[in-house]
Amino acid sequence: MRPLLLALALLAIPAAARADDDVSAPTAACPKGVLTLHLLKPQNNPPFPWQITAFEKDNPCIKMDIAEVPFGQLADKISVLAASGNPPDVVVYDGPNTQTYAASGILLPLDSYLPAGFKDDLVPATLIEHSYEGKLYSPGTQQTTLALFYNADMLEKAGIPTPPRELNKAWTWAQAMDAFKKCQQGEGDNVTVWGLAPSRFGAATPGFVYRDLPFLRTYGDPNAPVESSVYKTYFAVAPDGKTAQGWLNTPEAVEGATFFQGMFNTAKITPKAGIPNAFQDKKACFTLDTSYFIAGLVNNDPGFKWGVTPMPYAKTPIVHTGSITLGVMAKSRHKDEAAKFAVDLSTGKAAEEFARVQRILPVLKSVYPKIPELQQYPLNIFAQQLLQWGHPRPPSAKFAQYDKIVTDALRDIAYGADPKTRLDQAARTLQPILSR
Amino acid sequence: MAAFLGPFLLLLAVFQYWPVAQMVRDSLYDFELLNPGLRKFVWLENYLYVFTDPDRQQAFLVTFGFAAGVVATVIPTAFLLAAYLNGRLPARAVVRTIVFLPVVTSAVVIATMWTFLLEPNNGLVNSALSAIGLPRLAFLTSKAQALPSIILMMLWQQTGFATVLFLSGLQSIPAEVEEAASIDGANTAQRLWHVTLPLLARTTVFVVVMMTVFSLQAFAPPLIMTGGGPEGTTNFLAFDIYTLAFNLQQPGLASAVSVVFMLVVLAISLLQMRLLRARWNY
Repeated sequence: MRPLLLALALLAIPAAARADDDVSAPTAACPKGVLTLHLLKPQNNPPFPWQITAFEKDNPCIKMDIAEVPFGQLADKISVLAASGNPPDVVVYDGPNTQTYAASGILLPLDSYLPAGFKDDLVPATLIEHSYEGKLYSPGTQQTTLALFYNADMLEKAGIPTPPRELNKAWTWAQAMDAFKKCQQGEGDNVTVWGLAPSRFGAATPGFVYRDLPFLRTYGDPNAPVESSVYKTYFAVAPDGKTAQGWLNTPEAVEGATFFQGMFNTAKITPKAGIPNAFQDKKACFTLDTSYFIAGLVNNDPGFKWGVTPMPYAKTPIVHTGSITLGVMAKSRHKDEAAKFAVDLSTGKAAEEFARVQRILPVLKSVYPKIPELQQYPLNIFAQQLLQWGHPRPPSAKFAQYDKIVTDALRDIAYGADPKTRLDQAARTLQPILSR
Repeated sequence: MAAFLGPFLLLLAVFQYWPVAQMVRDSLYDFELLNPGLRKFVWLENYLYVFTDPDRQQAFLVTFGFAAGVVATVIPTAFLLAAYLNGRLPARAVVRTIVFLPVVTSAVVIATMWTFLLEPNNGLVNSALSAIGLPRLAFLTSKAQALPSIILMMLWQQTGFATVLFLSGLQSIPAEVEEAASIDGANTAQRLWHVTLPLLARTTVFVVVMMTVFSLQAFAPPLIMTGGGPEGTTNFLAFDIYTLAFNLQQPGLASAVSVVFMLVVLAISLLQMRLLRARWNY
């Protein structure tokens, strides 16, 4: 038994030692020593090196130690680290998981660290997404919405009028479907140009909640009576995030799922399998993507004229919001400094500079008037959608589970499963998980 | 002796038996990986769920159906290939290497490659079907075709391993036994049925058990090719356990599935060894 205990003790030493290693010996400039904060982030995502450098310059007694993982492994990595005795101080994660992490006690509520009026300045969708039981767990860094990109040359050739730029003139899905059909070239097994590009999100298969659940939610109405199924369809989960039965599988949601399925199986205007860069390679007339897609088209000219039109809708316009964000781990041994890092990067000049340099959608309403590009086409479409139509993916303390189960259900519906049966199955599987 | 075996037994205890004991313990609790300290003892509730939940029942059926499909296709194919390679064949070593090559290729690489091959729009298999005038198939996006497609991939991947094992079994059968049967008037089919196959029993047991275990452990195909779909038809248990533990945050339930799975695999292996045990010695 003694060797086993010795081995375990040896394994425990590095974890215990790191707390002391976080602070260097005192110097004249830093009498308490230089503190190293540990940050876990997904690759190619903020905070970018210039943001870290700017923070370290403003806070010379704090040094950031960055660990990166591929975005696809981030949630698993956080799960494992959260359970460990020595998690990072700050973590960059996917915003819709905020309630999950908050309910599990992983994240530290940041209300007491935020400047006065911060919550009032937050974009409504961000405030909902990053709050749990009245407390804010992340200040947010950026927001996203989807809009419909089109190949203007192909549309002109197909005789399709230029799609609208104004939200109040947005296409319905029926109008969009007509355009997809007119623009598609070839049919059956010989399609050369698809009406709508396949999803590039998630596993690049149909069904990713961020992109595809709005096909169902748009059949709902947030202004309908609260007990009606049309109201529940819009939200897709009960306000407390604990009930999917009767919210996810309403008759209106089934109607939306049937339309969604028709795109793949009846109208056949979009493929079931992914095609990398389908839009850029002129293999699709339209694609649903975020404002980040603009930079790719500007920096790597695809060789055709392109444009953006607001997200089509059926009954109620809706776009999903959410992006990566940052929070402070509740187990951090340096909560105040970690919270300072999170808040400093998300407020004031740093937030403004981030929006200006990266051309992202800010989470603070006060930043919008200061960035001229956000008032101009095409970014203004994304900004207006965020403020007028934006709604988080169904908020729940079990969002990760909701996301997985609903994504699988929508994928199966796209592949041909009966919409009602499959949504009922998803709601049945989800219910015991949500109500735990 | 104790000093020699001690370190190995210690490692075995720490890295094999202790995790199994932890798994059995966890299967009696309801908790999340995000906060494992907050756990509730639920007695055998997780096991009840394993036996009554339609999704779990489907995962068991799909996994064992897959294993049966792999064994049923790999064993005869590998035996025939081995019999062919056992003859006088020029460049036999080269052919054997070619047959064996997929075995040493990473499962992830193979799954990725076959995803491209079976792609419905531009995949090589569908292009070949179109070229000979046959209709394109949905393969991995079809509820009916996804599992057979993965069995086909496993057949391609695992046949080499089984072939090499059968070949070694065939080459160890004494030539005089076959000669004696020939002198007694046995034709080729009779020699195969009454001499070769019985004497290959030990090899067959080993190959069947190995193929069964490999198939039951399959994880890369659903992870990379299908995500367990369409409609759960490729939701193999190893992938289901991973999904339950990490995506759905139900490690207690995942542990219960693992315990049941482990016991069933153990029972199947014992049964296979008993049914296929060698009754001959040479």
